[in-house]
Amino acid sequence: MTTPHPAAMTPVADRSAASTPPGADGSAATIVVDHVSRWYGNVVAVNDVSIAIGPGITGLLGPNGAGKSTLLHLAAGLLRPSAGSVSVLGAPAWRNPATYRRVGLVPERETVYPFLTGREFVSLNGKLQGLADPGGAARVAIRTVDLDDAADRAIGTYSKGMRQRIKVAAALVHEPEVLLLDEPFNGMDPRQRLHMMELLTTMAAAGRTILFSSHILEEVERLAQSVLVIVAGRLAASGGYREIRRLMTDRPHTFTIHSSDNRRLAAALLACDPVFGAELSDGILTIRSADYAAFTGIVAGVARDAGVSLYELRPTDESLESVFQYLVAR
Amino acid sequence: MIVTIARLTLRGVLNRRRSLLMLLLALSPVLIAILIRLAGRSADPVRLERNLLDGLVVRTVLPLVALVLGTGALGSELEDGTAVYLLTKPIPRWKIALAKLMAAGGLTAALVAPAALVTGLLVAGDQGGGAGIAFAYAAATVFGSFMYTGVFLAVSLATGRALIIGLSYTLLWEGLLAGLFAGSRSFSIREYTIGIAGIVDPGGVRPPLDAVTTVVGTVTVLVVAFVLTTRWLAGFQIRTAD
Repeated sequence: MTTPHPAAMTPVADRSAASTPPGADGSAATIVVDHVSRWYGNVVAVNDVSIAIGPGITGLLGPNGAGKSTLLHLAAGLLRPSAGSVSVLGAPAWRNPATYRRVGLVPERETVYPFLTGREFVSLNGKLQGLADPGGAARVAIRTVDLDDAADRAIGTYSKGMRQRIKVAAALVHEPEVLLLDEPFNGMDPRQRLHMMELLTTMAAAGRTILFSSHILEEVERLAQSVLVIVAGRLAASGGYREIRRLMTDRPHTFTIHSSDNRRLAAALLACDPVFGAELSDGILTIRSADYAAFTGIVAGVARDAGVSLYELRPTDESLESVFQYLVAR
Repeated sequence: MIVTIARLTLRGVLNRRRSLLMLLLALSPVLIAILIRLAGRSADPVRLERNLLDGLVVRTVLPLVALVLGTGALGSELEDGTAVYLLTKPIPRWKIALAKLMAAGGLTAALVAPAALVTGLLVAGDQGGGAGIAFAYAAATVFGSFMYTGVFLAVSLATGRALIIGLSYTLLWEGLLAGLFAGSRSFSIREYTIGIAGIVDPGGVRPPLDAVTTVVGTVTVLVVAFVLTTRWLAGFQIRTAD
């Protein structure tokens, strides 16, 4: 989250509107977020975001606290936009319970009525949806998430991954056209994760709109046709995952080096192609390179040729947060 | 739909340990009545009955049970996040409000009204007018249960500190201030509850308010609490982590 007052922030609307991805398969948008901001007091959680999401899988990628949950909750009609508007399937998301007939939400919080069995919980969601045969719908949804064996156990006894799946079954029970999932892979083991990915892919292939949030690039990369990167409440980048990946790998990388002769090593490295900057201070050499792999491939050889002993080579700022920050500052 | 939500609410409420404590609290006047009978007859059993029903059941047990169950019926679900499963359904919000009120008010009444009846009958059921007073208070606590839980339900939507606000209302306003100023009694759920007992048994109960004020007050509290709960549910915003 950011702390400045919304009025003091520079809008990023033009960039975000321009980079609006159409539906992943090119069809019309089902979720439209139009210049939406959401703030709590003078804390901005979402800052002038405009996006249009169509059928297919869209990943909402960003570090913890970036505003992903806020954006999902705005789309789910559980939060009122402080500015702008959110519509789902052509109808306003806020104060419009009728929309829930066509929308399913898998919340991030784990708590599910612990005294109900999995089957009771999914069937209850079907009943609350007003389905004619909630029991039958529950059976299908439970089979879809592969939880038949544990369906008649109290949810209180479920593992984290099982809870996650029963929540998905509950959100699927009325076969919604739009499915919103907040960090759906949390707590899942690799097998469950793979199964969930297959499930979401199948559902997307059937023409549903699936929007899920994650702070893990690999999850988004494997699943989403379209990626929205959210950092500090802003839409930092959007597009296909290849494009996002390229943006992330093409950024400059910084390394700190500790060696027997920093000055000589700096001169030798500056003569190499991937290095475009060197800085010496307090006995530490800082190198900037445009290409992570190329630089780490040559550094040892250059040091040897220059007769310098390398004591330490450390990439700085490789955290996901710094990658996101780079995308914002771009 | 209303029955489904009410049943779910009851299962949730009954599943919590504090509900068991509420049962014990509701049983406390009955236990005291048993002790009174064992200790032997007092000089004026009917007066004792009235004091017990008025002072212990209506003034203490009823608001406390209603406070815990009323704030818990929706407040606990909002707190632990399970309310999302209810709120993301195509259900008119007044139905959710009504179901919650029925569940919390009904459970409070089911605990407190029998306790009032049994307490009254034990202390002075065999005296002239004693049974009538017991019945009048039991009937009045049913209305009191829905009034109190309705208000506490609405408060639990408006703030996360519903318990403290509810306690303050009961102890400070009803317990202290409403007795100090002339006219302030007309704005007290407790006085409306005793007023209903007076309407049911005019000969045995001497209510502080007249029948018209009591009826108008009762209806107003129920309607306002229900309308506010519905409105606040419709505009409810989830507490988001980021």
